[in-house]
Amino acid sequence: MLKRHFLKTVVGTALLLGTALSAHAADDALARIKAAGVLKVGTETAFAPFDFIDAGEHVGLNVDFFAELGKDLGVKIEWVALPWDSVLPSLEAGKYDIVAGPATITKARLERFKMTSPIAEATVAIMKKAGDTSITKPEDIAGKAVGVGKATAQLEQLKEYSATLPKKVDIHEYVSFNDSYADLAAGRVVAVANSLPNIAFVAKQRNGAFEVVTPGFGKKTYFGFIGKKDDDSKTLVDYVNEETIKMKKDGRLGKLQEKWFGTKFDTPDAITDPAF
Amino acid sequence: MTIKLFTLLMQAALYTLGISIVSIVIGFAIAILLSAAMLSGKGIYIAPARLFISFFRGVPLLVQLLLIYTLLPVIGINVPSIVAAIIGLSLCTAAYQAENLRGGFDAVPKGLVEAADVTGFNPRQTFFRIRVPIALRLTFPALVNEAIMILKSSSLVSVVGIIELTKMAQDLSSSTYLPIPIFASAGAIYLVINWAIALVAGRVERSLPKVTA
Repeated sequence: MLKRHFLKTVVGTALLLGTALSAHAADDALARIKAAGVLKVGTETAFAPFDFIDAGEHVGLNVDFFAELGKDLGVKIEWVALPWDSVLPSLEAGKYDIVAGPATITKARLERFKMTSPIAEATVAIMKKAGDTSITKPEDIAGKAVGVGKATAQLEQLKEYSATLPKKVDIHEYVSFNDSYADLAAGRVVAVANSLPNIAFVAKQRNGAFEVVTPGFGKKTYFGFIGKKDDDSKTLVDYVNEETIKMKKDGRLGKLQEKWFGTKFDTPDAITDPAF
Repeated sequence: MTIKLFTLLMQAALYTLGISIVSIVIGFAIAILLSAAMLSGKGIYIAPARLFISFFRGVPLLVQLLLIYTLLPVIGINVPSIVAAIIGLSLCTAAYQAENLRGGFDAVPKGLVEAADVTGFNPRQTFFRIRVPIALRLTFPALVNEAIMILKSSSLVSVVGIIELTKMAQDLSSSTYLPIPIFASAGAIYLVINWAIALVAGRVERSLPKVTA
């Protein structure tokens, strides 16, 4: 009897809490963020030059971008850093309002999430150790060990590309791209497959240790931020889109790209039918 | 390895220490309730306590943390990272500490309890003056062990977004490309903290009265 009563109490409390919290959610995401004065952004801090830790400080293009957005919107930005494979599940669990990342805009992701206006190109290429003459073009990775991040679009593109090669690539999946760069330096993999802005930045930072092999092997893709697909989040995603296009027009986005990638990208305003 | 990097590691170590201490204390309080339930002899209390212990001892802490962080919001309870981390560590250590305490109470010599009975101690006095002091004395080394385990296990809470010592070391090593000195320093900091815990615990243990059956 007592046990039954206990169970009822627990379930009752949970339901009550649930309704209390959802009653709070009367307006839409953007209105709530404005009222609270805080925009919570989830990300992974191992994705230089977008989000990374430079001597203890969280920096990168995302940090600068959201600082600008926060200024325009009049709210503070609160960052939540998680391993990449739990970033998207935690967005769905309501841990934060939007995901920085960014993530490659793909067909599979568009089915489940809403992706914002592109902020950079995401086409995948490979990076090798400097002076490695056995790899001069993308197809040279056939049959070799190549590192890539777990649960990433780059991994999917590498798999697809590997299937077209005469010999399959020996794909090593890492928790973060940083770990794959470390293994490239240690010689456990001969190359790392990642998007051009990322590996270009890493190659530049590790002056002379790594080299990017051009051209990329993947289809032309773009990076965007990720929001929830429900009606509640629509106002927020729309706002981020407007801001992105505004910053592109007034040159702020170009300046940020110049600062973090050393080059500017021509990005479309919206991606409705991604190549991948 | 600069002073700045070391300071950052020390700051993260404070996080590690804070989360661990809070979790051990909360865990101990829950463990007292659990072991009381287990020792009550009434099925209605024993069953839920057993269920709790078998779950939190049987599921990896990493999985518990991810469940607390991403599953609780589904039933409307959205907890911030730090709360999820403390809940996870507390509940996990509570299960282990409860078993330690139960073992301590079970090991109190029956003869002593019977002797207290015949000399006129009422059940309450027997419990607080005979059973509790002896049980605590017997469990103390296991509790210290558990505290050290939790301090090390706290390296897992980075999966719910807490930058503690291990995560800070990972972040720093990937931005400075100095993995060896950074991880060596992190290891040394853990070692010094645990060594200090063991030292203090050893002193306390020696000051407690000896128990022989």
